[in-house]
Amino acid sequence: MLRLISLIFAILLTAIATPCAAGEKVDFDQQVAPILAERCLGCHSGAKPKGGLDLTGSKAVLKGTKNGPAVIAGKPEESPLWTRVEAGEMPPKKPLSAEEKVILKTWIAKGAGWGTDPIDPLRMTAKQRAGFDWWSLKPLRRPVPPKGGDAAWPINPIDRFVLERLDFAGLKPSAEADRRTLIRRLSLDLLGLPPTWEEVDAFVRDERPDAYERLVDRLLASPHYGERWAQHWLDVVRYGESGGFERNDPRRNSWHYRDWVVQAFSADMPYDQFCRLQLAGDILQPGDPDAIKASGYLVAGIHNTVLPGIKALQDAAFHEELEDLVGNVGQTFLGMTANCARCHDHKFDPISQIDYYRLASALSGVRHGEAELPSPNFKAETDRISAALAEIAKRLTEMDAPIRKEIMAARKAPVASGPAPIAAWDFREGGKDRIGNLHAQPSGGARFTSDGLVLDGKLAFARTVAIPRMLREKTLEAWVRLANLDQRGGAVITIEEGDKFDAIVFGEQEAKRWMAGSDFFRRTKSAGGPLETAAPSRPVHIAIAYRADGTIAVYRDGLPYGQSYVSSGPQSFNANQAHIKFGNRHGVPGGNKMLAGIVERARLYDRALTNDEIAISAKVENFVTETELVACLTEPQRAKRTDLLKQRAELETQLAKVKPGKGAKAYTNRPVMPQTMRVMHRGQVSEPGNVVSPGGVAALGKADFKLEPNVAEGTRRVKLAEWITSPENPLFARVMVNRLWHHHFGIGIVETPSDFGFNGGRPSHPELLDWLASEFVERGYRLKEMHRLIATSRTYRQSSMPKIDGLKKDAESRLLWRKRPMRIEGEVLRDSLLAVTGLLDRSVGGQGFSDYKENNNAGTTYFDPIDPVGPQFHRRSLYRFRPRSASQGLLDAFDCPDTAGSAPRRNVTTTPLQALALWNGPFALRMADTLADRIRKAKAPEGEVVASYRLVLQRDPTMEERGRATRLVEQHGVRALARVLFNSNEFLVIE
Amino acid sequence: MNDFVFDRRRLLSWSAQGLGATALLHLLQRDGVLSAQEQTHLPAKVKRAVQITLVGGLSHLDSFDPKPELRRRHGQTLRMEHQPDTFFNQIGLLRRNDFDFQRCGRSGLEISNLFPHIAEHADELTVLRSMVADSANHTPALFVLNSGFPLNGYPALGGWLSFGLGSEADDLPSYVVLPDDRGEANGGASNWTAGFLPAQHQGVAFGSGPNPVGNLVPASPISAAEEEASRAFLRETNLAHVARRGDDADLSARVRSYELAARMQLAVPRVADLADEPVSVRSLYGIDRPETADAGRRCLLARRLLERGVRFVQVYSGGPIAGSPRRSWDAHENVRENHSAEARRIDQPVAALLADLKRRGMLDDTLVLFTTEFGRTPFTQSGAGTVGAGRDHNRYGFSCWLAGAGLKKGIAHGATDEVGWKAVVDPVTWNDFHATVLHLFGIDHERLTFYHNGIRRRLTNVHGHVVNDILA
Repeated sequence: MLRLISLIFAILLTAIATPCAAGEKVDFDQQVAPILAERCLGCHSGAKPKGGLDLTGSKAVLKGTKNGPAVIAGKPEESPLWTRVEAGEMPPKKPLSAEEKVILKTWIAKGAGWGTDPIDPLRMTAKQRAGFDWWSLKPLRRPVPPKGGDAAWPINPIDRFVLERLDFAGLKPSAEADRRTLIRRLSLDLLGLPPTWEEVDAFVRDERPDAYERLVDRLLASPHYGERWAQHWLDVVRYGESGGFERNDPRRNSWHYRDWVVQAFSADMPYDQFCRLQLAGDILQPGDPDAIKASGYLVAGIHNTVLPGIKALQDAAFHEELEDLVGNVGQTFLGMTANCARCHDHKFDPISQIDYYRLASALSGVRHGEAELPSPNFKAETDRISAALAEIAKRLTEMDAPIRKEIMAARKAPVASGPAPIAAWDFREGGKDRIGNLHAQPSGGARFTSDGLVLDGKLAFARTVAIPRMLREKTLEAWVRLANLDQRGGAVITIEEGDKFDAIVFGEQEAKRWMAGSDFFRRTKSAGGPLETAAPSRPVHIAIAYRADGTIAVYRDGLPYGQSYVSSGPQSFNANQAHIKFGNRHGVPGGNKMLAGIVERARLYDRALTNDEIAISAKVENFVTETELVACLTEPQRAKRTDLLKQRAELETQLAKVKPGKGAKAYTNRPVMPQTMRVMHRGQVSEPGNVVSPGGVAALGKADFKLEPNVAEGTRRVKLAEWITSPENPLFARVMVNRLWHHHFGIGIVETPSDFGFNGGRPSHPELLDWLASEFVERGYRLKEMHRLIATSRTYRQSSMPKIDGLKKDAESRLLWRKRPMRIEGEVLRDSLLAVTGLLDRSVGGQGFSDYKENNNAGTTYFDPIDPVGPQFHRRSLYRFRPRSASQGLLDAFDCPDTAGSAPRRNVTTTPLQALALWNGPFALRMADTLADRIRKAKAPEGEVVASYRLVLQRDPTMEERGRATRLVEQHGVRALARVLFNSNEFLVIE
Repeated sequence: MNDFVFDRRRLLSWSAQGLGATALLHLLQRDGVLSAQEQTHLPAKVKRAVQITLVGGLSHLDSFDPKPELRRRHGQTLRMEHQPDTFFNQIGLLRRNDFDFQRCGRSGLEISNLFPHIAEHADELTVLRSMVADSANHTPALFVLNSGFPLNGYPALGGWLSFGLGSEADDLPSYVVLPDDRGEANGGASNWTAGFLPAQHQGVAFGSGPNPVGNLVPASPISAAEEEASRAFLRETNLAHVARRGDDADLSARVRSYELAARMQLAVPRVADLADEPVSVRSLYGIDRPETADAGRRCLLARRLLERGVRFVQVYSGGPIAGSPRRSWDAHENVRENHSAEARRIDQPVAALLADLKRRGMLDDTLVLFTTEFGRTPFTQSGAGTVGAGRDHNRYGFSCWLAGAGLKKGIAHGATDEVGWKAVVDPVTWNDFHATVLHLFGIDHERLTFYHNGIRRRLTNVHGHVVNDILA
């Protein structure tokens, strides 16, 4: 057998190989560069090439280094490169093959023309590897469906592509299958459940011309469609319900993700949105329970909760799991095995090691955990109130702006008009808020002087009453003189609510630097601005703007201070819950939280000011006070304004009262701010190299996300999701339509659904694949449209009967001269048994059931499969608790994969153990008994035998069958017949 | 455009996992159409193997790797360049071995008195004293021992052998696992998973009792007459179905699978019933004594399985890793107590297996592997400056042994440093170990591959060198 396998490989490889072009012109990029890259550059490249010889670029090779050129064009015998190779000295261990030698020599003899310079081993497709020009990376084009062949046969363009290929191979398509076969096929394929005999009968009798199309539509609208196709997706994303490894802790709350997938399929969520939510839902739709559930994708895989006490080993374990995640993201969404590039550039595909670490950086903040799901109406309520608030803000501005302008214009010494704060203090004149009512009360020895608010750095501070407005976006601004530059952590101005705060802080994390302080440094990073020197001698202007996307920007003297950065914010502060403090970073006064110095002035804004606004504000001292403004209004305006302010206050109070609520817990991503990612030499964490930024795979284009290496966690995944789902990414659509095809036909157009690379399969119908993919994009990534297109094609409706010429030319039926017969999967088998016996509980969604006995042995959970009896165990197999490292009984025998790894296409085996499980196993026998009971009780007029055939196989027995079956039933009861029918090929195979 | 071949032979390649393909392959093997022995890459030295797997980490310093220097430096501090990767990170002082070594057999191979019975077979053993492991954490380390990868989901050595060579028995699984009575090791069935290989290559765990495999007999009572009539009708139903629609390989394969199942129903209880073994054999394995009864029964069963054509049998020594008292070789607290108790359970049974295989001539084409996750540290797991009684995990150096055909016997290969902390002469990784085992079976480890998600996977990943020095 081994010999045969080797033989097949040899055949395959030869089929792929380009024939040696000895004597003809040699293509450098196609033929020579791959040899140099694979056999020479390992030593002869980089900073210190062996023997001082660098073979990556034409200059070094042709012009030479201190030892002269390695190659003399046209003269192989005088070229050291050739003579060393010819002598068998190079490469030192494995010499080049005869064929490779011919290429090399011919290339030199024909003038040693160079191509891509320096050699980029990943760029061009070569004999042993795929390049940027690999078929699956090429842009989608929309081929015109071919015309020709039997014009009467095709129903839709799919059939035209298939027919052309069949014609080419000299094969004819098969006739349409009979109606019973068609409805069984469609039901099992689209729903994973057999039809009832009554449904079959009705369809057989339906004489309407569009009876078939109506059936397809009816099935696609069924809630069980989502259950069926969710299972296929869950196979790919290796969804399991325990952690694996030593403890194998059960994940009781991961089913929310499973349910979300079911709902997304049933609701026909556009596939791009479906993917974006799984990769970055928690960031894109914060607070949305569906997004939290969708993010369960990121933590669907294995996770080791037992780690050694040594940091290096923990890091190594982290990178193992990260590889698993990068691998699954690449394979699931792109059909790319990016995980193979962790230790070195991909050996077969154009994925560099840097590409791998860019992806790893994008995903490195993902952590396993649980989150409380907001109550279902939380998001709806929050959205509603926020929209109303935005409307009021707009109307207020419309009313105020002209009046502010008039007031400023009327002033005797007009100054430039700055942005409007919601509170402003000039402490040289006391603690009064010059805009509204946020007056500052001194405490702990703080006092107002003609210089401002004097703070002693011990207990002195000032605070305001509660802010009547909710604040999310905001700007804090102050002018301050410091008593000294050595203090470490006092705050000039703080907005605080309970434990939460944002503040302008001096010197806390880094001596002599300003920073945006926050609770547990949650939104704090170094802005990297210059060290403070002037603040003791004069008041400096400091401002921090908190933008809606989380960006935090610090300013000094009206100019940006260091770099702005993205935080997990902005933090919301609720109306009437938060207040402003001066001099006390947060909480109880004392310690390093207190500022020593003088705060001259301060301002608070309800939005993030722009750079220009801050530049102006730094110089502006005059404001229109609330009183002035109100005084200038007409009576009706004043009434209207009062009304708007009242509405605003009410809405803000409402908003503060909308609580996430005690929702259920969901196993999901609990991201952290990751460490800066580095390329690890040979994949070893002990050998970190260059820093990388989050990004994609260069071969797919737009791989540079233009992000800093330490960019906020959420931004990384949002960018990754955008890049993956971009309409310009040809793999995104190709891979998914091929998955659909794989499940409809039992084998994909590309037979390796998660690998469109060099080691994967080649498309049997490349034009059809591209046509389907462009159709998918054009139809808004709607899966149901694609199912409909495929299921209503003539190709899909063909009979599955074998034909001698077909089997001879194409045993796997990949050319689709027939519909391949497919054995049902383990889940479909179990669900079918429950369905035909009448036990199936068809309720959709919710927490599942477990048919395991759990045995916690000193912290490790073991799962023993049992066969529990009771109606709660009669739900579809999708709702079975799905731990890892656990036997699955009957389902194991029928090739249900262990969820330790992704299973884009399941094995299909036929083994004696499988036969034993279905013939003797407790579940199958119990189902046989149940069917017998059902039939006995029904006392059907057609008789027990006919009733059995109708329930199990949805047809009447033939005359011969009826005679034999009757004898079996007479002697051994209906149970014996049921057992036989459950084990029959007809029951187990989708024809 | 058409750069792939539509070819029946492709059924055997990576690309073919469609319905029927693997079924057909499976049956072809069983039909003897492709006899394994004629098809190997290299001349095969062995046809079958049994692997004894010690869960928890056997102290090489107290068993197969004598260190006189450790005795001399008892109570001293071990100077190390880097912080060691132990598990608990409690580095005590050096501790001398708890078990004394003797020169054994004509070879003079040194083995400690922890294993007096195994020591009697010293001249049959090929000891690897320079093993190194990828992980000092139990479950990943056990996964690597079995599959070469530290994660769940990769096929085990037994599965690869089953895939590469098939089974010589129609009526028994090709890979059988015999877990310790005290429970399955951590990772459970993941340790003998087929991973991405087709399902028939997964290890089948035999329980104790007359029907050690599930579903051998109907779960509820069925009379012989009903059984016979039902079988006949099933066969007829399926044949009629084939006749109606035409012959498809996968459909006839299913018919065949029920015939093989019927034979397995007879064969499995027969092999598991030890009653037909003479009393002398049973007592040779120690089945008559409580401390050796479990391992004795399983070692004897292993021999019977191998004898009947099973390709690979794995016998576990040790149950779940956590818990107190210890149920494995994980001697963090006290090596003397723990290892004495564990060795009492397996020493005689394993020695009996060697003796029995030899007596029957089976050792000429059977391989016995004696393996453990990792070794233990020369310093104790205790506070700094103290000599404790237990030792922590040591992935840098430990011992395993092989016995059987194709090997130099009565030798020790490789060496750890003078205190047994790190392998310094000819280190052997698990990839090397697996490559060597495959080599003995006549398989080139670089050529036994299975395509999965973009990679032609190997047992040895992208590493592994055959340890040529131990080959006869």
